[in-house]
Amino acid sequence: MKTISMFIPCLADLFLPRIGEATVTLLRRLGLDPIYHDAQTCCGQPAISSGHMDSAVKAAKHFIQIFEHDEIIICPSGSCVHTVKHQYPDLLKKEPEWAHRARRVGAKTYELSQFLVDILGTKDVGASFSGSAVYHESCKNLRRLGISDQPRKLIDAVKNTELLPLKEADVCCGFGGEFSIRFPDISEAIVAQKVQHFINSEADILVLSEPGCLLNVDGYLQRHHPEKKAMHLAELLSHTE
Amino acid sequence: MEINTHRFTETAKKELKNEYSRVFLDIFRQHFPVLRKKAMASFPNPDKALEKSAAIRADVVARLPELLNQFEKNAIRNGAKVFRAKDAKAANEFIVNLAKQRGVTYVTKGKSMVTEEIGLNQALEENGIKAFESDLGEFITQLLDRPPFHIVGPAMNIPVEEISDIFQKKAGMKDPTLDPVELGQAARVYLRNKFHHVEMGITGVNMAVAETGTIINVENEGNIRMSKSSPKTQVSVMTLEKVVENMADALHLVRVLCRSCTGQKLSAYVSMDSGPKKENEIDGPEELFIVIVDNGRWNFYDDSQSREALKCIRCGTCLNICPVYTKVGGYPYGWAYSGPMGQVLTPLLLGLDRTKDLYHACTQCGACSEVCPGGIDHPKMLHEFRIRQTRIRPRISFKKNDIIDFFEFALWEKMVVHPSLWKLGVTMSRSATRQKNAVRMLKKTNGPVKNWTQSRTMPQIARKTFHERWNELRDKK
Amino acid sequence: MIKKFIEEVILQTGQVHQVQDYSTAGEILAQIAADHQLKSMVASTDEVIRPLKIMEWANKKGIEVKTADNFKDRASFKDYAFGQADAGITGVNYGISESGTLCLVHDINQPRLASIAPLFHIAILTADRLVPEYEQAVENIYTGSSTPPSQVSFITGPSMTGDIKAQSFKGMHGPKHLIIILIE
Repeated sequence: MKTISMFIPCLADLFLPRIGEATVTLLRRLGLDPIYHDAQTCCGQPAISSGHMDSAVKAAKHFIQIFEHDEIIICPSGSCVHTVKHQYPDLLKKEPEWAHRARRVGAKTYELSQFLVDILGTKDVGASFSGSAVYHESCKNLRRLGISDQPRKLIDAVKNTELLPLKEADVCCGFGGEFSIRFPDISEAIVAQKVQHFINSEADILVLSEPGCLLNVDGYLQRHHPEKKAMHLAELLSHTE
Repeated sequence: MEINTHRFTETAKKELKNEYSRVFLDIFRQHFPVLRKKAMASFPNPDKALEKSAAIRADVVARLPELLNQFEKNAIRNGAKVFRAKDAKAANEFIVNLAKQRGVTYVTKGKSMVTEEIGLNQALEENGIKAFESDLGEFITQLLDRPPFHIVGPAMNIPVEEISDIFQKKAGMKDPTLDPVELGQAARVYLRNKFHHVEMGITGVNMAVAETGTIINVENEGNIRMSKSSPKTQVSVMTLEKVVENMADALHLVRVLCRSCTGQKLSAYVSMDSGPKKENEIDGPEELFIVIVDNGRWNFYDDSQSREALKCIRCGTCLNICPVYTKVGGYPYGWAYSGPMGQVLTPLLLGLDRTKDLYHACTQCGACSEVCPGGIDHPKMLHEFRIRQTRIRPRISFKKNDIIDFFEFALWEKMVVHPSLWKLGVTMSRSATRQKNAVRMLKKTNGPVKNWTQSRTMPQIARKTFHERWNELRDKK
Repeated sequence: MIKKFIEEVILQTGQVHQVQDYSTAGEILAQIAADHQLKSMVASTDEVIRPLKIMEWANKKGIEVKTADNFKDRASFKDYAFGQADAGITGVNYGISESGTLCLVHDINQPRLASIAPLFHIAILTADRLVPEYEQAVENIYTGSSTPPSQVSFITGPSMTGDIKAQSFKGMHGPKHLIIILIE
């Protein structure tokens, strides 16, 4: 089995390290021995999405140098994987050698659920959680990486968990990175509706596969509906009873 | 038309409080895409149908000068008169003069976004010529002096009480009513009189077919057919990008347009004009004028990224599916075009300076580009505008936001490539996010923290970041 | 194709009366006029409606029918179409079963307002003019060296709108009723 190198997104590193911890627990339970490069910081997505490409190039090169010798890189965030796989080559197109290195790294970078279902061929990761769950489709997973079945299959296979339908599951949660800070009123209206759909579903937990989406939705829940729970997919999959 | 693109945020804030509009915006997002999908399913292969329409539009934009020339040549051969208007002023002057020369006192108008873009109605009114919008939604917004709420349903958000009121005041309706059918009937009666006696009809153009010199209009109400059949003079206004090569392409686009717009296989009326009426025909225009409006488009045509915006066929699907538009409606976008297609086109026509909010107010979710029949990648284009904007701005400037931006990424850059700085930054900021007084101060100071915590709890840097946790986890197997 | 055409028309709240010949068409037309109290009509003179011999029919049934050549100019024609005619009756160049669409080629024998101004549009269509898709109609009309017709209209159902409260209804500016007599 190839060595698994973990790419833990900056938002998870700083604010939600439990996502990283859950990822470690989960992979170890599956008999894998993941490594983590201490030098990693951020893939550069915030700089890219706000148009600061020169800064993003520096982040990209840093990332590539750290990860390019790994065999498989997995990340509990589809948006970061999208950045590495799809945005890096374009970002570095003026330096063909770097662009080539970027494509090589991108080819072996996977989002967590994608890795588990498509590469490992596993749906049942030995998790159990008593309760019902709904799943929010993060935009980058769904539309840029084509990931939708995989998280659902994984949640479905969790012992004692019932996966319920979520109304407008594929509508954005209103995070959009800088959007949530630049346009707080609109962002609030969007996340409020996502949360309302969650509440109306009567599910016990809302599962998200993006740290950014989770920060957004959970931040709103804690302020307005602290009794309702949201968690990252990795947390659910590492959960045992 | 008045430009209010710089008021995006304040208008959005106001519109978010409009409960009635919010109901209809939810209907747009929850029902229209379903209707659209159902209608698209009548294609043997809906995905291929979208690919084909995107390919047609890409080809049109790539060959725009040539196709426009061909259209003009053939339209003239059919007996139409074609005028290429460089800008709004030229277009308005031309049309106003036509009306004046023919002693026209009023015109009836079909829904046309380009005529809003150039402010044609105002130019006509300033010259003593009344312009009657005859599409029901446009008729209502005109009477209320409001901008359009949505491309396809410009007055959907207007409460029936208001419509009843204004119809009584300005459209000759005698008794109040809250019934949409009765209101429609009142509008029919009022406008019918105008159609009967009108001497000049002004329409937009959905498609201009180069090969045959034909203009095509798509509608449900019949007001465009009226405006093309009753008067002696017809003026049809189009922007450059409405051209299409041949009838086969036009038919495909019309099929996709109708399904995308209203979930119909075909709208009630599709009328195709090739020149004015023939000599012995009793109705139809004696003169057909086609005005092709530039208004800034050739300026960005040479930029292959920017000209992608010209692929739009004005179907409104991107509006219906946009999480942002379906919260704030059309008004905040501040001009003739709203939703993702407006966010992509308006900055190109009005400049990046005045339209900053338009290309930042996007979560980059990508729902729009997935359904666009024109094959436009809206998020990519908005991203491109953001990049350009960082390059226009001087690197060193003393405006507050620019200073923040400069430090934000100049500093961020250093921290990202030097892990030790990253960790130092974390240590230094940690208490700011955890310590009660620091948090309270941050929440009060204008800035990202205040905006975030308006509706969410403060994101706190963990007592131990993952970096720090790994030191323990690594050995604990 | 006939079946699909009729299904599609009905979806749009149009009506289709199937008849075997023109004389039965005349009977059905009389019934329609009686049902809806249609006392006056503006008619086209195209080759599809001609065998109906509408002026003779009008005399027999006591219904006023006028055609374009009854009017000296546009203004008087418009007065009739907008003000007097309860219905417009026209032939149809093609019926397109894809969406139950009528294709009218406007020329001296097919005035435009007849099918848009009155509240009722009665359309005479012969089954041999049914085609499956828009392309067949358009190819026949637009290919060739002669100049294209001044206007071609595709009509699918009565006029409609949904602009107020997204509540849709028929009969906005154009006809509220579309009645097709399909002659096989």
